[in-house]
Amino acid sequence: MKPAIMRRLVAAELMKVRTTASWWYYLAGFGLLAAGALTNNWFSHHYQLHPQADLPDRAQALAAAAQARTPSGTAAIAASMITSGDFLTALFAILLGVHIAANEFAQRTATVTFLTVPRRGRVVAAKVAAAACAGAVFWLAATLLNGIGTGVFLRTEHLSGALTGVTAARSAGMALLVYVLSAVAGVGLGALIRSQLAAVITAIAAYAGGFALIELVSHLVYDLARQGWVLGLPVAAPPLADIVMTSSGSAFPHAPPPWAGAAVMAGYALALAAAGTAAIRARDVS
Amino acid sequence: MVMLAGLVVIGALVWLVRRRQGGRTEDTWPGGAPREGVAALAAGPALAESRAAGRIVVRGLTKDYDQIRAVDGLSFTAEPGRITGFLGPNGAGKTTALRMLLGLAQPTAGTATIGGTRYADLADPIGRVGAVLEASGAHPGRSGRDHLRIICRAAGLPLGRADEVLRATGLSLAARRPAGGYSLGMRQRLGLAAALLGRPQVLVLDEPANGLDPAGIRWLRDLLRAFAAKGGTILISSHILAEMQQLADDVVIIASGRAVAQGTVGAVTGSLAKGGTRTLVRTPEPGMLAAELGEAAEFAPAGPGGEDVYVTGPDATAIGEAARRAGVAIHQLVTQQPDLEAAFLELTSLTKTEGAEQ
Repeated sequence: MKPAIMRRLVAAELMKVRTTASWWYYLAGFGLLAAGALTNNWFSHHYQLHPQADLPDRAQALAAAAQARTPSGTAAIAASMITSGDFLTALFAILLGVHIAANEFAQRTATVTFLTVPRRGRVVAAKVAAAACAGAVFWLAATLLNGIGTGVFLRTEHLSGALTGVTAARSAGMALLVYVLSAVAGVGLGALIRSQLAAVITAIAAYAGGFALIELVSHLVYDLARQGWVLGLPVAAPPLADIVMTSSGSAFPHAPPPWAGAAVMAGYALALAAAGTAAIRARDVS
Repeated sequence: MVMLAGLVVIGALVWLVRRRQGGRTEDTWPGGAPREGVAALAAGPALAESRAAGRIVVRGLTKDYDQIRAVDGLSFTAEPGRITGFLGPNGAGKTTALRMLLGLAQPTAGTATIGGTRYADLADPIGRVGAVLEASGAHPGRSGRDHLRIICRAAGLPLGRADEVLRATGLSLAARRPAGGYSLGMRQRLGLAAALLGRPQVLVLDEPANGLDPAGIRWLRDLLRAFAAKGGTILISSHILAEMQQLADDVVIIASGRAVAQGTVGAVTGSLAKGGTRTLVRTPEPGMLAAELGEAAEFAPAGPGGEDVYVTGPDATAIGEAARRAGVAIHQLVTQQPDLEAAFLELTSLTKTEGAEQ
């Protein structure tokens, strides 16, 4: 495939995204959720640093607060805040990916699209690339908002240096991968399921319900087998894979390393994109 | 404070969206069709360098949906420099056949090629073929101009080409309004504008006159004639049979997915048992005239009262001579030419009857 052809197809797909109002609605909803997640994280870390007087295990809380003020503790706070709520806001990247693929059929624009470019694999590839770009824009918006919020928080709490450290940078970099892979998985899902509404419901149900289901199953299996690694299995759920990827330490007991979360998300993205491409190629456009 | 800043940003975004939507209502549709655009649109440089390159050939095209055969062994050819009407009743398989021709649906059997190549294999599809399968095909929330610019971008055409075809199709004033607010006629024009972006050699149009006003229909007729005169190939489906009789050089009539007639308009209408030339005769004594003409003439009532009859068989001269010999007064004698509508109705009803008998 010639790079010039792909460049113009990706540019056309990006034009499609930004020439309807839907893009702004997604961005507005995303911004609202991101701001809410940052606020929640702000208060959470504030109370971590300033334990309330009436806590039953106040001594333990004070020890944790002291640990949080060490360089490694501050770095963990910065990493957590700069990726505030990414496991939630990444859902918007998935939904935008679904929109990029399924909206062609919902609004009956697929006919013109495939008349202009009859090689459907190229069209899906361009949609994947455009969705990845849109996911990166989401990441940029979230990271800017979270970065400003984190900077203000650290200054308010008289903590310094952590925002520019390696830990925060690594978490932010992983968050970029989360958004990009989420958007790609969304395109695959939107291509696979013809109805946009059904694809959106499936995405939300799989994202939220899948997380709850796999948590439940892993704990049931753990109760039977008493093997610690079983508690790490929930990484197969995308929201927990996101958390594992961006977390500076162990995201939960027996959590696998960040690369395992990245491998899970990449697996979903590749599998859904491949299945979606096959479905689009085989489908009659009517 | 950060939360407040976030809310301010979101509020500003929503305000911007509303402003974008609200700011596009001042343009109005100009009404009359711009006839000056016809020559510019039809005079594409890609037109007919060789006849074979623009020939549409359909052979044994078949499409099954579950237990239903929508298209059944359809074969026809549409030649460059000619307008081929593609006619059939609702559900006859016209749109399915056109979608298979354009690579949008996979045939169960058979082939459909343009210049010997499947549409999906064309190197420059919209530079070879312009198609309108549904009015505009544009996203209702996207402006007509953006719709065309996206096609230009994907096809590697200069973005300025979008403005050229918008001017030529009379849509310049509405170009920045969302296509969802366009009338059916405007959406048809937008679809035609998209079809003509690549200066194609072949046009495939599904009901392009739907929703056009009389001026628009005339504009379309002029455009298609000019396009064919330059050597372009046109395959056009339509329900407006009177318009097709004026416009088409050849017709393909399909019913129940099969071709029931094809050829020039004259050949198809002239080959009919009931749809051929007939003469309207007004006489107070049709019985005496029938007796004089004998068994070679077939009489059919043409209205209440019994004075108006259609006579099939002898021409007007023979009828006049017979009336003179029999001493029968003739008050009106009108020769009626073969009629595409009659041909269409007879051919498609024959197929329905055959289907019912089977």
